[in-house]
Amino acid sequence: MAGTEHEEVEETLKRIEAHKGVIGTIIIDAEGIPIRTTLDNSTTVLYARLLRRLTMNARSIVRDIDPQNDLTFLRIRSKKHEILVAPENDYLLIVIQNPCE
Amino acid sequence: MPPKKPKKSSAGSKGKDKKIQSPAAHDWELSNQDHPEDIFPMVLTSATQELFDCVADEDVTGESPYKLLEKDDIIQDIKTRAAVSDFSPVKQIVLDYPEDELLLVYDRDFTYGQSFYLVLTPDAKDRILNPPKPETPEVFEKEVVKTPEPKPWISFGSDKEIDEEAFKESREKLLYKFSRVRRKFGVPVCFSDRNTADYLECASYQDSRFSIKQMQRDCGMQAVPRLQSSSAQTQWKFQKNIFTQYTPRELSVEEKENILQLESLKTFCNSVTPRVLQALQQEGIMNVFFDDWKALGTATEDGDWAGKVSEGLMLYQAFTDQKYTKDKKICSVNWHPTIYGVIAVALTAKKEDQLNESAVRASFILFYTFSDPSNPQLLLECPDDIFAFEFCPSDPNIIVGGCINGQVVLWDISAHVTGLQGTQPGKKVSVNTDTCDFHQDLDDNKENKTPIVRYCAVSALDSSHKAPITDVQWLPATFEVTRTGLPVENMYNVSTQVVTCSPDCTIMFWDVRVSNLLSHSASERRQIMDQKTPYSVPDTFKHLDRTWKPLFRVSLPKIDTSGEYAPLKFNMEHYTCNANENGDSSKVIPDYSQLILPSAKTLKALEDVNTKLYIGTEDGEIIYIDWKLGKDDSGRLQSAKPLHCFSIHHWLVNTVQRSPFFKDIILTAGSWNFAIWKEGVMDGPILLSASSEQVCTVGCWSLSRPAVFFIGKEDGSIEVWNLLEKTNEPVQVHSHVTNAKITCIKPWAASSKQHFLAVTDDLGMVRVFEIPKTLYVPSRSESLNVKKYFELEEDRLKDLLRREELWEKQKETEGLKKRTEPDKPVTSLVENEEANVKEYNDYLMLEENVLKGMGLWRAPADTQDT
Repeated sequence: MAGTEHEEVEETLKRIEAHKGVIGTIIIDAEGIPIRTTLDNSTTVLYARLLRRLTMNARSIVRDIDPQNDLTFLRIRSKKHEILVAPENDYLLIVIQNPCE
Repeated sequence: MPPKKPKKSSAGSKGKDKKIQSPAAHDWELSNQDHPEDIFPMVLTSATQELFDCVADEDVTGESPYKLLEKDDIIQDIKTRAAVSDFSPVKQIVLDYPEDELLLVYDRDFTYGQSFYLVLTPDAKDRILNPPKPETPEVFEKEVVKTPEPKPWISFGSDKEIDEEAFKESREKLLYKFSRVRRKFGVPVCFSDRNTADYLECASYQDSRFSIKQMQRDCGMQAVPRLQSSSAQTQWKFQKNIFTQYTPRELSVEEKENILQLESLKTFCNSVTPRVLQALQQEGIMNVFFDDWKALGTATEDGDWAGKVSEGLMLYQAFTDQKYTKDKKICSVNWHPTIYGVIAVALTAKKEDQLNESAVRASFILFYTFSDPSNPQLLLECPDDIFAFEFCPSDPNIIVGGCINGQVVLWDISAHVTGLQGTQPGKKVSVNTDTCDFHQDLDDNKENKTPIVRYCAVSALDSSHKAPITDVQWLPATFEVTRTGLPVENMYNVSTQVVTCSPDCTIMFWDVRVSNLLSHSASERRQIMDQKTPYSVPDTFKHLDRTWKPLFRVSLPKIDTSGEYAPLKFNMEHYTCNANENGDSSKVIPDYSQLILPSAKTLKALEDVNTKLYIGTEDGEIIYIDWKLGKDDSGRLQSAKPLHCFSIHHWLVNTVQRSPFFKDIILTAGSWNFAIWKEGVMDGPILLSASSEQVCTVGCWSLSRPAVFFIGKEDGSIEVWNLLEKTNEPVQVHSHVTNAKITCIKPWAASSKQHFLAVTDDLGMVRVFEIPKTLYVPSRSESLNVKKYFELEEDRLKDLLRREELWEKQKETEGLKKRTEPDKPVTSLVENEEANVKEYNDYLMLEENVLKGMGLWRAPADTQDT
């Protein structure tokens, strides 16, 4: 039973990872410790630390403007990649994608 | 001890204690000697030395210099040898000597002037042999160990000095006491008169003894260091040693497993996944962050919306000079490559005047500057009208020009460059007057007379062109050519070679350096030596004057027929060599008069130089030819046949110019149209304009935008073409810029904000236009777009040609078909007929069978069954 739940999570993540251009995914828990990742350890830790801070900041901005609002998605476009951050329920899902063009 | 007396010995008072006895006993010549009186220095010959056993350094040495000699021996020696004996001077003394033995001392150091000395008195002998022992030597040694004790002070004479300086009373002080008698105290005073003459006056007078200026004063000084003690103390408020070392927190594998199985994580994943997938998909479709608005605008719109931005060419200045440009047209114009605002124009007489010319009028190249539009600043004197001229790219003071009579002319304006530079806008013009007066005659007192520079060198008349030179170009500084046209490495990194072309069907290569004198004949050599350059002509090119011959000639035989092409303009590819980039920092322009033509064998050949030229001819053809001379059948050097020839223009070609951005795109203009070619595409121009109503007289590329070029027309209008906007007509037409035919257009980028276009015409006027920003600032990725456009055009051309071939072939096959058509219908009809008949027979058979089967068969007439 526990295995099947684990499986569901895996399966969902596999769908994301199989998408075109995805370089890696990271799941971070409430304290910023990576739970599951497809990248190497040092990169994971770096992304986790930095993006958690940014997401906290972004969320506080949104809620400062309107306390009933909340951050749903954060997208950072850089020259080389695009970083997608989805916060929800104390967890954080980070996806790094290579743009197609 | 006898008291000391001053000694007369010069070298004798070292060490030994000399005591001189009273000279009463020895009052003969010894008293004036410079040695003590009781010894006698003497020389002993080696014979005497052997006789008395006192050979120097053997019997007597420095350590034991004493030798006792028997008195009798000496007397004997004196008797036997008489005057020759060494002892003869002391004969008397020896005879008087009281004792029997005399002391002979070996004086190694020549203390008394001779190598031996004889001690004359027994006392001295005793003293020398038994020197008084130094008193208490042991005590002296012991004293060194003890601490030094204070010794009584020994006066060395300094107390006298102190006494002299000290101030002492020389006599007792005199004391005079005046007092009134006691009983007169308090008594009233009675004054009475007295005659002053009875008194002796002691008037004060100036005594010179007391007016001496003290010139020197002794002053005592003591330098005392100023001591100052100070201290500093930093306060370490929070004494803390800090260091940080962290590792990221990580969960162990079991913990991770636990979390992964949590319900909350599952919900999280489920809720987050759709969003993420949508975002990923978006990214795959298009770039959400792409700013279309920004990408739409060009670089010019970055903030420059101030006021009106002019679209067209604005007239900046016009230059003309009444005196020199009357009845002349301008054939060539060039901007000075380094000095701002200086244009040089070459004037030629118009065609009608040329034929009527009986007297030779002086021809000039005028230099105009922005600061003075109606007076030229410098004139270059030419032997004849100049059709084309160019500044040397390595040294802008050297100018080469091609004459109407086929000669090539060189000028050196280094003496007058300061005059040109001095007339910059904003600077005083007074500099000009100084240089003006320098070369003038005495009766020319007009102010600001323009200096005239005579040419330094012209080519030899018989080896020049036979027709006017229509185009002159310098070879770039990156390579040079040998006598056979082979490109080799350029050692000096300066442009030293010139290429000229002329309608006499040749292209000549010239070299401005000193060539090997051996190649000249004797008469020429004499001519070179005898030549005296006229005053005020720089002798940079003295070695070339009137004897200059070209390096080699390229002739242009026609491809298909006999005869030759008559070139008017040509263009070669600029070769850039990467290896020369490190030499740029030391940009020393060598003196041109010192450069020597190197032998071809010493230079390294460059393989990748493009040696092909594009040439425009009198008849409107564009030729592509290699300038290297090859060997023909007879072994002589011969020019190669042109590789390609195209008759695109129908009349004179007046422009062949390479694009400054792409080294394989060439613009040619002539007659009623212009064309753009790509080097390597041998099938034709990639772009050919439609024929216009006016003759295109000149074309030139813009220096900053790859897609823009300018065409000048015969009616005095200028067309601005932009290949990225419209390709079938010009973007701008500035009609009637002048009233006469436009002869030359040259653009120039003076600074990043100012771009000029110089336009010259048939009337001798030069107009300088300012190119608006829209025309000189390239649009975003314009170079790339233009390149793509040219490639498209090339493909289109190739495609067109391919299709043409295909159509040709089809036409041929069509033609064949038509010829064979009359036979075909006949055969086909016959075949059809046969087929029909066969079918009909089969049908009859079938009908027969069926009817027979049904029993209704009736035998028909026996006509068809065959």
